[in-house]
Amino acid sequence: MADYLLHIVGMATPILVLLSFAIPVISKAFKSKRAPFVAAMIGGIYAAVASVLALYMVYKDNSPLVYMYGGWPPHFGIAYEIDYFNGLIGVFTALTMLAIMLYSLWYEHHIDEPTWYFALLLGLEAGILGCLYTGDAFNLFVMIEVLSISAYGLVAYHRDRPEAVEAAAKYILIGAVATIMYFIAVVLLYAGFGTVNMAILSRIAMRPELPQSLKYLAMLSISLALWVFTYKSALFPNHFWLPDAHPEAPTPISAALSGLVVNVGVYASARFLYTLFGDGSAVSGYREFVLLALFVLGTVSGVLGALMMMIQRDVKRLLAYSTICHIGIIYVGLAAGFAIGSAEAVKLALMGTSIHIVAHGISKAVLFMASGIFIDATGSRDLDAMKGVGRRYPLASLSLILGFLNLAGLIPFMGFYSKLLIALSYLKIGFVLGTILIIVISALSIPGYMKAISAIVFGVGEAKEGRVAGRWVEVMLLIMSLSTLFIGIFFQQAAYIFDYSSNSLVSGVQNYVDAVIKKIPPELRGWIP
Amino acid sequence: MQVDISIINTYLLMVTLVAMIANFVLSLYGVFFKPHYIKKIIALSMLSDTANTITLYIGYRRWVDGVPPTIPVITNRSIEGIYDVVRRSVDPLPPALVLTAVVIGLATTLFLVYLGYILYTHYKTLDMREIKRLKG
Repeated sequence: MADYLLHIVGMATPILVLLSFAIPVISKAFKSKRAPFVAAMIGGIYAAVASVLALYMVYKDNSPLVYMYGGWPPHFGIAYEIDYFNGLIGVFTALTMLAIMLYSLWYEHHIDEPTWYFALLLGLEAGILGCLYTGDAFNLFVMIEVLSISAYGLVAYHRDRPEAVEAAAKYILIGAVATIMYFIAVVLLYAGFGTVNMAILSRIAMRPELPQSLKYLAMLSISLALWVFTYKSALFPNHFWLPDAHPEAPTPISAALSGLVVNVGVYASARFLYTLFGDGSAVSGYREFVLLALFVLGTVSGVLGALMMMIQRDVKRLLAYSTICHIGIIYVGLAAGFAIGSAEAVKLALMGTSIHIVAHGISKAVLFMASGIFIDATGSRDLDAMKGVGRRYPLASLSLILGFLNLAGLIPFMGFYSKLLIALSYLKIGFVLGTILIIVISALSIPGYMKAISAIVFGVGEAKEGRVAGRWVEVMLLIMSLSTLFIGIFFQQAAYIFDYSSNSLVSGVQNYVDAVIKKIPPELRGWIP
Repeated sequence: MQVDISIINTYLLMVTLVAMIANFVLSLYGVFFKPHYIKKIIALSMLSDTANTITLYIGYRRWVDGVPPTIPVITNRSIEGIYDVVRRSVDPLPPALVLTAVVIGLATTLFLVYLGYILYTHYKTLDMREIKRLKG
């Protein structure tokens, strides 16, 4: 019985990829314009069920879930491993993706070739879930490529617009270099450690008597790998593609890229710096240096995003810079691990990070989708042309305001607790600068949000008659926005899941490793320390 | 006549290594500093080929007892046969990784070329210095 459920979880990524490739055939067979949407919806619902099931199984067994493809034990075959951290992000990703697919149904008058759109969208979801769930460093490379190719294709989807093609070209030229660097990083890890399985790599890296050459190799690999992770998550020096690519994509894709895809880079960085080469591993001195560098880059990213947000006139560009700002905050939370010896505070910061990933993802998806409605109503992305349009769409406006308030960190929202926990943890560490910087970034970002709200909802402009149909989309957006509010209000009850997810990066690393080692037959286990 | 192969072997490996590092630097230079889109694509495929060569290089085994390394296939299913394969054969995993990376690289290059075609139809040029309608 449990075995059967395990297969449902494990086959999620392959089935999504298969369905994605089947969509052109399906749309040829059924001739209906809606057929690709229905197929994509089936895939999305399957992924949502599988991800919820995965998190439930982790909760029930109270140990990470290991799925071995083809029954090959880890390290000989590809293994997927799900613990609380990636399980939580996986559930949030799959559910948000479901909302984005439903929104694509409303958006379909802009989609001239639904077949390719939905095929790429399913490919994107398969890539994200594969990146999150994989327990194999090389499979992570493959999944990053699946995700990247889908994302490049979707950014260039409106190929009759020169800007969209240009943004995609900029994105892919450097992105392809970054993924090749990650490939070299994985190969170097294999050359030194003799394995690409994350858990076994972690176990070997924990050996104190590791030869000096292997330490240097691991340092080189971390440096090369972090480039692609920070590139995918648009951290400061690698952020240049995001303000072009995200606004030029179709609106549902902007929501998916800004809300979900950037998290993959954050997740992979956390995996590398906390699980693979975690606290007390052979590269410990270098790891803290890297985390401190990520802290600096995160603050620069946050301040830059907040400042650039103020001067934007294009609503989608404003939201894109807001993404850069929040990725900065997430990396500041992630970087708390440089404080050795204060495990409790690091755990608190990671808890804030995982809450902020979810809070920012939901709100950013809502904001992009709500702004899509206003863009449709006015026919322009300019904030000046949008003055007052929000008053004709009260539900969408309400969800827009709630989303901005969540990002700004108003008290009962999720976004408040995430920033609070990160700031508190830096106080606990005794690094007051971190706390101050979080507050400064939050304060700097507020004028940008206020500008958007006041222009769209409270501005006075010429009232154009007529109304874009689709009240159900507004209701869906409102539900998504309210969910961040409710999780914030019932934070006491919801906190434990985030607590577990942060725990799995700190003290849960042993469980993560042991769950994989247990799956290897004892006679093949001898060489693992 | 027994020729000492290890000196030639080391020499050739060093030449390959130096060539790969030079190739790596050149292709990175090409991707970042060459203005033309097609030249960037060429530099990118050079870079991925360099990465693949490095991978194959990692799986390489030195000659044992004056005999070149063999393919990793067990033909003699006795203990000695397996021992011999372990001692002499090249590592089979890096070629598998390279195969995956080559296929992915093909897809990326195809996409880039098609994107370049659309870029040309819009801008009538592929010079990336002139393609900047976006602010960045």
